[in-house]
Amino acid sequence: MMTQVFARALRWAAAIAVVPIVASAQSNLSSQGFGFPTGQLSTRAYGTGGALAEIDPLSPVNPASLTLLPTRVLFFQLEPEYRTVDGPNGTDHTTTARYPVVFGAIPIGSSWVFSLGASTLLDRTSSTHFTTSQPISATESVAMNTDYRIDGAMTDVRFATAWSPANWLRVGVGAHGITGHNLVSIAQSFDDSAQFSAFTTSRILGFGGTAVSGGVQVVTKSLVFAGSGRYGGPLSLHAEDTLLTSARVPNRYGASVAYVGIANSTIAIRTSHDSWSSLGTLGTSQLHPVDAWDSSVGADVGGPHVGDHLIFLRGGYRMRTLPFQAAGQDVTEKSITGGLGTAFAANRVIADLAVIHASRSANLSASEHAWTFSVGIAVRP
Amino acid sequence: MRKQVLTLLGLALGAVTIAACSDKLDAGASCPLLCPQQAISLKDTTIDAVAIDTTVVGLPSIGSESYLMLASHGDTLETRAIVRFDTIPQTYQKNSIDSTIVHIDTAMLVTPIAHIDSLKRPKSPITIEAYDVDTVGSDTVTAVLASLFRPDRFLGSKTFAPESLKDTLQIPISTDSVLARSVAGTHLRVGFRLVSSHGYDLRIGTGAVSQAVTLRIRASTDTGATPVTVSPLSQTPTNQSFISGPLTDYTIVLKGQTTSLPNVLAVGGVPSRRTFFSFNVPSHIVDSTTIVRASLLLTQIPNRRVDSKDTVYLYPLAILSSPIVTDIATALGFLSTPGSFGVDSLAVVPGDSGVKSVEIVGLVRTWKTQPTTVSPRTLGLVSAVEGQSPAEINFFSTRAPVGLRPRLRITYAPQTNYGLP
Repeated sequence: MMTQVFARALRWAAAIAVVPIVASAQSNLSSQGFGFPTGQLSTRAYGTGGALAEIDPLSPVNPASLTLLPTRVLFFQLEPEYRTVDGPNGTDHTTTARYPVVFGAIPIGSSWVFSLGASTLLDRTSSTHFTTSQPISATESVAMNTDYRIDGAMTDVRFATAWSPANWLRVGVGAHGITGHNLVSIAQSFDDSAQFSAFTTSRILGFGGTAVSGGVQVVTKSLVFAGSGRYGGPLSLHAEDTLLTSARVPNRYGASVAYVGIANSTIAIRTSHDSWSSLGTLGTSQLHPVDAWDSSVGADVGGPHVGDHLIFLRGGYRMRTLPFQAAGQDVTEKSITGGLGTAFAANRVIADLAVIHASRSANLSASEHAWTFSVGIAVRP
Repeated sequence: MRKQVLTLLGLALGAVTIAACSDKLDAGASCPLLCPQQAISLKDTTIDAVAIDTTVVGLPSIGSESYLMLASHGDTLETRAIVRFDTIPQTYQKNSIDSTIVHIDTAMLVTPIAHIDSLKRPKSPITIEAYDVDTVGSDTVTAVLASLFRPDRFLGSKTFAPESLKDTLQIPISTDSVLARSVAGTHLRVGFRLVSSHGYDLRIGTGAVSQAVTLRIRASTDTGATPVTVSPLSQTPTNQSFISGPLTDYTIVLKGQTTSLPNVLAVGGVPSRRTFFSFNVPSHIVDSTTIVRASLLLTQIPNRRVDSKDTVYLYPLAILSSPIVTDIATALGFLSTPGSFGVDSLAVVPGDSGVKSVEIVGLVRTWKTQPTTVSPRTLGLVSAVEGQSPAEINFFSTRAPVGLRPRLRITYAPQTNYGLP
């Protein structure tokens, strides 16, 4: 019964895809350019700051980790972020809800696992309201109010398989389709409504691209070495049937070392590099993507039992550079994370919760702080 | 204890789940630092887009006025109002029994008038005279009707003090004349004339606004006798109700400016007139941009003939007929209702001058992607008190010197590649 309920919930989550359905402000540091990189981390991995991403089977990062899934699994995740932006003209408090990962996997035979999932690569959902003085002529101007809203994200749909030829070795490959869209809506109104008439306009910008990925894990008695990479193919941006721009899907590579010598516990350190600069030609000349490192350290340890349930406690620290500059300056993010997780219903339902506090800054008179709550539910039907 | 911890955990998960579905969108405090160049820039252009402009005198057509204008401004303007009672009852009720009218005690013209602003009250008493204007001749020709306002056709009159001009005027008329019509079963057609020592004009209600003049007959002084109220009715021309109907009550102009100069566009006035505009706007503006302002710029000519200081509201109205209707006067009969297409009125004073801006963006936007056969680029300019007020607004036409001609100012958002960061 419980499984059916969650299965329905998963179908619902899949139906609304993994793009965010709620908007926040773009007048912030994190959603510049084509948007905010959620990191493609599961709640479990997020709770450790991302340090477990290379060895976590629910994070669509390293396909080799799929071999850790013993049974069929469906997983979805929701992730509201409460953001505060301090700018030169005041403070904004906004909320963004994201559904960054939807995922399903099925083992075939004793050593193969296949999976299909979608995750948010760049979330651009935002809404900004601002007033400007619009010059009409040399002698005339009008106060104009603009509501600029963008809904949507660039989504990474991955089909992956993993194989474990030996107990100490796991390998995996993935084929990626980069898809999704940005619905851009602009509403402009005027203080002088007697002469000027408000208007709205919108357009849909669609993404289309490909990439391949691969990963490997080498397991020893107390350590797990993992590495993965993604090779980006062509990426295009189109409006209806018109090709606007093209670029390449960013390459990525990452590696981690995890200590697993303590029962039910993992302590890991990870770093990853994304070549976001390959997106440079996808936007206007004002777009300044930068290649960025994403490094983290964290632990997932078996904690107390509550009833028959073992509670996992997690913590971590992460620091990274965000892909798009703000006002010509690199944006960096530092996060302190925590979380917990447990299993229910005879281990058929796994629930994870993570809390992340992120501080984002640039060499500007603006800064940003965010609390993110990540909830992940995995069901073994 | 364990159950409490699990409950607490469940509540936390539930709270986060619920919170994930709410949003808060108010933002923008960090603009323009963090959100530059998001507003769509506007462009502005003023073009000689008026292809045809002309004034048609005599609209609305006779009998279509909302109010009858009764004006007496000496040699400048003189109008009369005609009300037809083509059927006069021959019976009345006394103690609920029909009785034949053989005597009339009083006959009163109950005359509703439009509200008079305190600043517009006459400076001295005015007199309204009523004449019998029934004739077998051409009963709508002004010259014929004007000749009937003579002493031998005088029906009655009443003088009103300025402060007594409220909502309804009671004007007694000859009981013998009314009785004669009742007995003979013939028409009673009343012509109203305003007599004033100072120039003045008055608006009388019509059937078009459910405020028609009525004839109230008291056929007996007996308290059991019910007064007879006669509503206006026109029966000529016979079998042409679409013509005879409007002629129930109408205005005729004895003295007035009946023509306009070619380089002048006129709105309102007496006889009432409307102005027609046809535009030729480049399709690259109409079809490929978003227009946020469209102003018809008209250079006003002061008109100080009558009521030069009164404020008159002008309505720019869409012409709803298709281009198949090529007669401009006919096309000006197919106007949208005021306020349609989001187009507002413009307040103008006849004696004023300078450039006036008529805002028509709501109408111009409807032209987008529509062929002219579906959405003609035309416009009618009318007075809100056409046929009711002598105030006339004049503008220079396209035949005037360059610089004074009508122009169209368009402010638009050009098609841009917005949305790309």
